[in-house]
Amino acid sequence: MSAEDWQLIWFTARMAALSTCLVLPVGLALAWCLARPRWRGKALVETLVSLPLVLPPVVTGLVLLTLFGRRGPLGRWLYQQLGLDIVFTWKAVVLALAVMSLPLFVRAARTALEEVNPLFEQLARTLGAGEWRVLLTITLPLARRGIIAGTMLAFARALGEFGATIMVAGNIPGQTTTLPVAIYSSVELGVTARPWMLAGVSATLAFLAIWTSERLVRRPKGLRLKAKG
Amino acid sequence: MREGLEASFAKRFDGGAVIEICGLTLGADPEITVLFGPSGCGKTTVLRCLAGLERPDSGTIRFGEEFWFGSAGRHPLPPQRRKVGFVPQDYALFPHLSVEQNIGYGLYGLPARESRARVAGTMRWLGLEGLEQRRPGALSGGQQQRVALARALVTRPRLLLLDEPLSALDAPARLRVRNELRPMLRRLSIPTLLVTHDRAEALALGDTLWVMNRGKLLQHGLAHEVFSRPADLDVAAIVAMETVQPGRVLKITDGLATVAVGPAILTALALDVQAVAEEVYVCIRAEEVILVKGPGSPSSARNCLPGTVCSLAREGPMVRAHLDCGFPLAALLTHQACEEMLLRQGDAVSALIKAPHIHLIPRAG
Amino acid sequence: MAAWVRLKTGLTVIPGLLLAFGAGPGAQVGWVLPAQAGVPLLPALGTGPGARGGEQAGNRHATVVVFAAASLTDCLKEIAAWYEKKTGDKLVFNLAASSTLAMQIRAGARADLFFSADEARMQALEDEGLIVKGTRRSRLSNSLVIVVATERGAEVSSPQDLAGPRVKRLALADPQAVPAGVYAREYLRRANLWSAIQPKVVPMENVRAALAAVEAGNVDAGIVYKTDAAISRKVRIACEVPRQGGPLISYPMALLVDAPQPEAARRFLEHLGSEQAEAVFRKLGFIVLRSSVP
Repeated sequence: MSAEDWQLIWFTARMAALSTCLVLPVGLALAWCLARPRWRGKALVETLVSLPLVLPPVVTGLVLLTLFGRRGPLGRWLYQQLGLDIVFTWKAVVLALAVMSLPLFVRAARTALEEVNPLFEQLARTLGAGEWRVLLTITLPLARRGIIAGTMLAFARALGEFGATIMVAGNIPGQTTTLPVAIYSSVELGVTARPWMLAGVSATLAFLAIWTSERLVRRPKGLRLKAKG
Repeated sequence: MREGLEASFAKRFDGGAVIEICGLTLGADPEITVLFGPSGCGKTTVLRCLAGLERPDSGTIRFGEEFWFGSAGRHPLPPQRRKVGFVPQDYALFPHLSVEQNIGYGLYGLPARESRARVAGTMRWLGLEGLEQRRPGALSGGQQQRVALARALVTRPRLLLLDEPLSALDAPARLRVRNELRPMLRRLSIPTLLVTHDRAEALALGDTLWVMNRGKLLQHGLAHEVFSRPADLDVAAIVAMETVQPGRVLKITDGLATVAVGPAILTALALDVQAVAEEVYVCIRAEEVILVKGPGSPSSARNCLPGTVCSLAREGPMVRAHLDCGFPLAALLTHQACEEMLLRQGDAVSALIKAPHIHLIPRAG
Repeated sequence: MAAWVRLKTGLTVIPGLLLAFGAGPGAQVGWVLPAQAGVPLLPALGTGPGARGGEQAGNRHATVVVFAAASLTDCLKEIAAWYEKKTGDKLVFNLAASSTLAMQIRAGARADLFFSADEARMQALEDEGLIVKGTRRSRLSNSLVIVVATERGAEVSSPQDLAGPRVKRLALADPQAVPAGVYAREYLRRANLWSAIQPKVVPMENVRAALAAVEAGNVDAGIVYKTDAAISRKVRIACEVPRQGGPLISYPMALLVDAPQPEAARRFLEHLGSEQAEAVFRKLGFIVLRSSVP
């Protein structure tokens, strides 16, 4: 593999890491809200968050392109007020990866939060802990395995994201070309060995991430949440 | 405003069950009050409403001058501010924290040194030295219970709520812990409300008793009184009176009532009974029945009922005997006594019962 | 609207790939035979149809699949409309970057004709024996222009401005493979501007996608064919690349060896060289070359 290819892999990993950092706080907040029982509009939020999972990725990319293009409602404001160019830059890559991997994280984190026995949180309250303290010292630590698993899943998804990325960030070598996009354009150019080699790297990274994620979600026998007599 | 807890509230559940508590009070004195009733009657929900973990639909909960729930226009006081120590049935020790961290959880605002000192003091008091760094999963049942208690107590709560403190333990531990628990609780000088469905536990641990069934409070009084003098049939069933038979008062003389139960005639204390020919239920505890083989000699027991042994059932060290004395009568005796008397099914015996041990419940209608 | 064009041309890749995977080894063998058997070749252009006599009866209302460069979209649609009405044959177009189309043909896509935007892509296929000998014709040319958005477009009056600070991003069809981009890169190299401009280049999937990017305002300028600039109201030509000193643009067309409908394909290929088709090309801004030798 050439130095260029290593650069490519490193760039893709960096973008995926950045997008996962973006996904974590937003996703945790969403997951926490969705883990609470019954509030107005919950079903709507649930559906919207899950949309990028089932929509064709190019459609999601199209929506992002329309919103964040220089003439789009959000893009125009960002460009005129903050001088920020989003589409066709690395920022668009991070945006696309974050939007596509958010639903996976939210699902995993929500399940983890729902599995926390509410009695622990209630008990913490009787001991004087305010709501933030309950969240940070009881709820999140008890849900940490599922949350970490969700993070790994989101990272893996971001590594492999293609449809939305190519729509909104394009294929600018060195600036927005990610691993999957490079594989695609190698095939386009009729190169034979390189796409397979890159595909192998992509598959290995995905395998490692999913494997770790699965190990985390499956609880080892010794750990119990309830005290036994 | 009286000191202590006063609660009257109602809560409705999906599915139709209703809890209606009227006048549950706990004095400010450090005594142990037991809320006693069968499983599923709503005891745990009452406790959770008092702790602020569940919200009643209506009513008031007041502690001293503070309105915890029901003050018009104001939000219920959140559990964080009630300063109540709550110990749930499974103890719910935080599995991701060590024993020391569990116990110290409620001491958040205190400087580290004071917090450590208090935790150490409480652990010493409850005999938990050496367990500071252990995780809850590595503790025995009894240890877990004490850690849960320590966690609730270290914050110096105004009220202690215990939900079935012994039910999560296995049988040998249960007996041992029960004997340790009462002196411990008495030394605390915090008013305690303890919930249980176990008769022995209620009698052993409680000073006063509230009997509850199907969401309602039925009787209140000193523990042994409630057990020997249930106010009605419901309570009699809950406190597991073994023999409950319909009878009729024939005459009342000198504070003693003569009651006909089937063909047998009994003499009981005429406490709740006003008139002759009143229909009553006669309640007799099996423990209070003494058996004599053959016809008995004169004794201080006012009632000497001849009868036959219908069946004998071994219950550990005790034997439960079902007799026919003109009406079905249950007696409890030691296995040793049974062997010494060579008691067999079909034997003729006399059942001796003292007048105060026969309790009469007026039958309404 | 511009984004939809991009989506449309981008999505033609998928049907192309499907066509490729649909072709099985058996079918290929079957279709190679007629070519090897020496089917009579297309007669010289300029003479009317019917030189092959009675073959027409068998191929009534055939469907001809044409893989054509994206820049030919509008003229081919217009030609096709007339042709379909006149002959009853149906025409199906796969419009994408010539490099993409070449890759799909190589992978086994079932197409009748290939209409490329440069000689290199056509040559590559010919070297692999995928073109029917003697059917290759190069009669069309084009010229490059630098375009900016009509509304609030960047101030560009000469090619040197592209290297200046007013142009932060320049859209080209992928300069590594797509003909329009290859031509642009060659031109910029000759003008000694390529090294200054290269970091600003946003490579797009094909020349129409580059046009769409300029229309949407997501880039400051683009280099596309004059014919592309002509069909869009949202861009205007900032300056033209002169044909002298610029790259030689040529649009070859040929019959493919594995064509499912070789007879009908030949007929359409012939028609593309007819007066009527040439008029359409000229009308839309293409340059029709007099010489018919590739």
